[in-house]
Amino acid sequence: MDIVVLIKQVPDSSEVKLDPKTGHLLREGIGAIMNPDDRHALEAAVRLKEAHGGRIVVLSMGPAQAIDVVSEAIGMGADEAVLLSDSAFAGADTWATSSTLGKAIEKIGKYDLIICGRQAIDGDTAQIGPQVAEYLGLPQVTYVFDIEAVTDGTVVVKKRLEDGYEKVQCDLPALLTVIAEVNRTRYPAIGNLIDACGEQAPITIWNAADIGVMTCDVGLAGSLTHVIRTFAPKGGRQTQMLEGDTGTVVRTLLEKLRENHLVLTDSGVLSAECREGKLS
Amino acid sequence: MIRSNAENLIRKSMARFVDNELVPKAQEIDEKGEFPRELFEQLGRMGVFGIRYPKAKGGSGGNCVLFCTVCEELARGLMSLAAISAMQSLMGTNFLFRFGSEEIKEKYFHPAMRGEKVACFCLTEPEAGSDLGNASTLAVRTENGFLINGMKTWVTNGPVADFYTVLCQTNPEKKFKGLNFFLVPADTPGLSRGKPFDLLGTRNTKICEIAFKDCFVPLDHMLGGEGQGMTNLLSILAEIRTMTAALAIGLQRAALGDCIRYAHERAQFGKTIANYQLIQAKIANMAVDLEASRLLTYKAARMVDDNIPCLTEASMAKYFATEAACRAADQATRIFGAYGYSMEYSPQRYYRDNRFLLYGGGTHEILQTNIAKWAGL
Ligand SMILES: Cc1cc2nc3c(=O)[nH]c(=O)nc-3n(C[C@H](O)[C@H](O)[C@H](O)COP(=O)(O)OP(=O)(O)OC[C@H]3O[C@@H](n4cnc5c(N)ncnc54)[C@H](O)[C@@H]3O)c2cc1C
Ligand SMILES: Cc1cc2nc3c(=O)[nH]c(=O)nc-3n(C[C@H](O)[C@H](O)[C@H](O)COP(=O)(O)OP(=O)(O)OC[C@H]3O[C@@H](n4cnc5c(N)ncnc54)[C@H](O)[C@@H]3O)c2cc1C
Repeated sequence: MDIVVLIKQVPDSSEVKLDPKTGHLLREGIGAIMNPDDRHALEAAVRLKEAHGGRIVVLSMGPAQAIDVVSEAIGMGADEAVLLSDSAFAGADTWATSSTLGKAIEKIGKYDLIICGRQAIDGDTAQIGPQVAEYLGLPQVTYVFDIEAVTDGTVVVKKRLEDGYEKVQCDLPALLTVIAEVNRTRYPAIGNLIDACGEQAPITIWNAADIGVMTCDVGLAGSLTHVIRTFAPKGGRQTQMLEGDTGTVVRTLLEKLRENHLVLTDSGVLSAECREGKLS
Repeated sequence: MIRSNAENLIRKSMARFVDNELVPKAQEIDEKGEFPRELFEQLGRMGVFGIRYPKAKGGSGGNCVLFCTVCEELARGLMSLAAISAMQSLMGTNFLFRFGSEEIKEKYFHPAMRGEKVACFCLTEPEAGSDLGNASTLAVRTENGFLINGMKTWVTNGPVADFYTVLCQTNPEKKFKGLNFFLVPADTPGLSRGKPFDLLGTRNTKICEIAFKDCFVPLDHMLGGEGQGMTNLLSILAEIRTMTAALAIGLQRAALGDCIRYAHERAQFGKTIANYQLIQAKIANMAVDLEASRLLTYKAARMVDDNIPCLTEASMAKYFATEAACRAADQATRIFGAYGYSMEYSPQRYYRDNRFLLYGGGTHEILQTNIAKWAGL
């Protein structure tokens, strides 16, 4: 059972702040960590390896500092790591990210399963897994919270739905995206971490040329979407205290709500409607 | 070639363990006062105990700097677990590793590395504390082994240990030169354990007396060459002291972190107490103490790794960092006001646990005496 695990290094905070002037991410003072879902993806892979044998290769695209998350992955039990690092990869949108990862997976070549996290806590799109599967023409199951069995070239998994779950059998090779519920992760083994830092560490770094892509097809240049402006939504609040007896206060409140196109729904919860929304 | 820095990577990884598994539960674990078996086994699985032994020989392939890094992080979370872990990584297993037969290693050392067996180290006796030369537990040579008689006390992990490394006298006339270490398995007939001591701090480290009555051990259970006991002990003394200093750094960091958080939260006279210069002075002093402790400790740790004799540096580090930990805990009980006196908040634990650091590896009176001598007095 050969498994490729996709791992992203993300800022150690789910509340990514933006520079109000440039719209760039403010990363100063925030450490970098392995994306939390990806830790579960790797744990799932290590457990499959423990049960069925095989090799685990982790793959990450990111700047040179992302070496730390692939080293940590070796600590947790990955056999090998590939870091895709090249200034040409910078600024990739999800298309450029997934096609670059796809190219690298083609170069890795041998795999029965690709496991990713469902979502990265910074980019937050949850698109990479599905897009990589499309790129490689593989079946995919997303939101996996239980990997039940791997037998005869198929995998049986449970996938979380809003109001229940689906049990899916899927031919291998396939791509899974997992959620945190799938397992409890282990801490890296100290000896493996030390190995991951040594000269002989099984870590390879690939640039654009190594995976045979043109720099115009990756990173910002290869992205199909272009960000015009990035901004943080204004979270400010205006408070107005209503005065008078209860009747007056309630009447004024309702007027104000109508003025602002806010309505009281059947369940009694206030919901914000769009400007041309119906009034009750 | 790009590679991660092992010290950073291990520190980060252990910090995540400490923040998730220890910090939120430390109070509860301490209150229970039991040997933390599950955490101990988890550290074993993580390869923490093997950090200072080479990988090819069953360790994790680290060194003293990495060992100190781990000790420091663990102590930031829970001093008793850090103490147990340090015992398992160094004093409790070192002589088995260096002098044990393959059979002994297979039976005791490797399981200890995996967290399946608990190790400990028995020097102190009722009449021999600082004055180890006075140790009188006797090992008498028989035809095919030794018979051990005597009593050890203050044995960390004593009540739960699977094997004991015991300092014995084989020839009382030779005093220091007659001291030797022996491996005594816990199931040796004649070995009995006393009741666990009621302790002020580090309440999860279980400590008791161990009595040896005609305990027979085979010849290969003598660890190290005849008469080499004190020399072998001296060979790890600098590392023991450096490790203790690292534990003290962990406690300082825990106290300082809690104090900063509390000073930002607690408001009196219309502002948070962080605004008051007398509180700022305490925080500043703690921060300076911490930085100085780090410099002394990691300097000594690097010297240990480079095989440079450093008993002086290690003694200074242990003395300074431990005293600084006592000051930090003391200041924490003040910054927290009355809550520092409550068993519900962390300062009381730091205040009790820091005392543990004062005795092992040499009391501060002994250290000061030696440092003065080395300074030229
Ligand atoms: C401020 C900002 C603006 C952005 N604007 C756009 C935009 O306009 N258009 C657009 O398409 N994208 C945009 N992105 C998304 C950006 O391109 C993504 O960070 C990147 O493509 C990965 O997507 P994601 O972070 O949403 O990952 P997700 O799809 O949420 O991640 C799912 C899983 O895919 C894997 N994965 C993701 N990234 C990597 C990686 N680098 N290496 C290895 N595995 C990985 C991991 O297993 C992860 O758990 C923006 C991101 C930010 C932070
Ligand atoms: C929590 C804890 C765990 C321990 N774990 C272990 C263990 O696992 N194994 C083990 O073998 N031991 C252990 N010990 C014992 C420890 O090593 C001894 O406490 C230490 O060696 C000091 O001995 P003592 O307590 O008998 O003090 P003593 O030697 O009796 O000293 C009493 C006082 O006199 C001072 N003093 C003594 N001699 C001199 C001198 N020459 N000059 C100036 N002052 C002097 C001391 O500094 C001290 O203040 C532990 C102790 C504690 C508290």
